[in-house]
Amino acid sequence: MIPREGKLLRIFIGESEHHRGRPAHEQILELARREGLAGATVLRGIAGFGRSSRIHTAKILRLSEDLPVVIEIIDAAEKIDALLPKLEPLIGGGLITLERAEVVVYRSKADAPGAS
Amino acid sequence: MAARANRGRLQCGMRWIWVFVGGGTGSLLRYLVGGWVQGATGAAFPWGTFAVNVSGCFAIGVLATWLTERSAATPELRTFLLIGVLGGYTTFSTFGIETWRLLESAEWLRAAGNALGSVAGGLAGVMAGVLLARSVP
Repeated sequence: MIPREGKLLRIFIGESEHHRGRPAHEQILELARREGLAGATVLRGIAGFGRSSRIHTAKILRLSEDLPVVIEIIDAAEKIDALLPKLEPLIGGGLITLERAEVVVYRSKADAPGAS
Repeated sequence: MAARANRGRLQCGMRWIWVFVGGGTGSLLRYLVGGWVQGATGAAFPWGTFAVNVSGCFAIGVLATWLTERSAATPELRTFLLIGVLGGYTTFSTFGIETWRLLESAEWLRAAGNALGSVAGGLAGVMAGVLLARSVP
């Protein structure tokens, strides 16, 4: 379970970010699962820019090679803090942020009200 | 830090190889398809190039949508197929998808400007080239 007061970890990277020959976002997802985190979601953006100030956008073919990817992970503060040192080496360039998250619902389908 | 910088360079190099190999494959495909269609339709109209341009646009519509919206394809695969193979097959496919995306976001003026400007600018380029080549003593 997650306590009501949790942490939201956000990792912003490019989809072509690799670590040892595999996409970094896939490895972060697998790491989070291995470490028993409550959940993780990988989102791909349609446009963005980062530290290099270079615009990436799905609109122009030549600028669509490295679209932004955001990985969101929410869990208790201790779990997130324990994950961070293992996660950081997986990415080259990128941005990692942390903020407070109030967990309203966290359950599987079977636990939903009215589920048989 | 040095390892990271090297990795960046390596990936840049790999990307060039994807474009190089894909572009060669696409060009050969264009040569074959264009030749086949032109051979079947006679010499009155450039149907070979026409068929390549339209089929390339259809292919990029299918592949760009599939690779970005309906699957989690790697950016390398997208570079190989969309920029390499289809770009080598016909740059008209790139023009097609980019104009379509302008239309999709209701940027009518830019879409029309790109479509009309490409045709007019392209013909003006050819004309300038022809005149230049003929004017050389």
